[in-house]
Amino acid sequence: MNISKIANLKFFYIKTQKISFFLSIFTLVLFIIGIYWGLYIAPEDYLQGNSYRIMYVHVPAAWLSLQTYIIMAVTGFIALVWKIKIMEITSIQCAPIGAFFTIIALVTGMIWGKPTWGTYWVWDARLTSELILLFLYVGIIVLYSAFNDKRQAVKITSLLAIVGLINIPIIHYSVEWWNTLHQGPTVTKFDKPSAHITMLLPLLYMFIVFNIYFLTVIIKRVRLGIYMREKNNKWMEEYLND
Amino acid sequence: MITTIVKKECSLYFRNLNNMFLPLIFFFLIISIFPLVLGPEKILFDKIIPGVIWITSILTTLLTSNNFFKDDYNNGIIETYMTSESSVELILFLKIILCWIFTCFPIVIFIPLVSLLFDIPFQISLVILLTLIIGTPVLISIGIFGSALTLGLAKNNTLLPVIILPFYIPVLIFSASAIEAVSVGLPYGMQIYILLAFLFLVLPIMPYLLKYTLGISINN
Repeated sequence: MNISKIANLKFFYIKTQKISFFLSIFTLVLFIIGIYWGLYIAPEDYLQGNSYRIMYVHVPAAWLSLQTYIIMAVTGFIALVWKIKIMEITSIQCAPIGAFFTIIALVTGMIWGKPTWGTYWVWDARLTSELILLFLYVGIIVLYSAFNDKRQAVKITSLLAIVGLINIPIIHYSVEWWNTLHQGPTVTKFDKPSAHITMLLPLLYMFIVFNIYFLTVIIKRVRLGIYMREKNNKWMEEYLND
Repeated sequence: MITTIVKKECSLYFRNLNNMFLPLIFFFLIISIFPLVLGPEKILFDKIIPGVIWITSILTTLLTSNNFFKDDYNNGIIETYMTSESSVELILFLKIILCWIFTCFPIVIFIPLVSLLFDIPFQISLVILLTLIIGTPVLISIGIFGSALTLGLAKNNTLLPVIILPFYIPVLIFSASAIEAVSVGLPYGMQIYILLAFLFLVLPIMPYLLKYTLGISINN
């Protein structure tokens, strides 16, 4: 199939209507299986008891939060260089999804932290850089909503996302360095006493499910973005009237 | 062409002395608010004063870089720069440097006075001075990048800090840690070198990035 055809907004909007519907159901089923696997089948942890099971949401959400940022920056780069409309929409629609993954990772991390560390929040390197990632997402969303001209806004936010992507490793490593300087490895040291394969398999599965979930949501959001941009066009009216 | 622009920028700063003195006064106001809020104990201040100085310099750089391109944009000078024959990158680079000289350098000069106010030992105030000299150009250029991003907006007063502050974090971490290291008698060379690395990474790239951003911001 020709790539320029997929990039056509009208083509994408019409073709993905059914796909998006089936993907939603597919994701729901996969999620139910994953939750059952993680919460019932996977064995209990000898150190943390049952509380470790929140990992099956927390860890994939944390991975996806970073991955979404990378996708946002890469699609933003493509949008800036080749001026492909659908990439512009994809790039900006990644931001709220990524922000939500970040919030999920932070909140589940806090819930997990209470029984294992005894406190909801420590200024640990990973928590802090996740929080900063949330600030980066919020900055992009706020900047986008401040503009009236949305095409202009996408160009600006893509640029910010690219600069942010270059900055994320720098921020991450400086925060990590700051953390080792300030507090000894008291809290997070026991994090990885290499988990058993029966625990890791559901985690891998949940990571894949989260990716499919991301795909579902991004398709839905891109369709929404196309609708917002093209709602006054003739083909959209004709299509919706059918 | 270049000398004309430098002269113009300098005379703009000199004619409107507010631009020069306002950041300085702001800096002193914020610094002197801290003892009022936290109480005047010396032990506490020995611990937090480097952080206080750095937080205040962040606020000052945010204040000065907020509407950096606004006047030039309204006058149409930026379009003239972009279409001029001489290199836009050089002009932007000079603008960054001049902005630093006229808004941050006064603060750096007055650090000894701040050290007197808070009774900071000479060795520590020297390191504070050093980190400010290396760090504030980075902060100023990142802030100017933010103001180029928000150029097309009518009101952007609180937007800029929200966008820009996460990018300040590495500079802050290493500056604060250099000051902390010297106050407990540890070597601080590594932090200074990393700050220098940030400086030499950001300053050469920034004019090109600014040119591209301005190009996008103007074409609306």
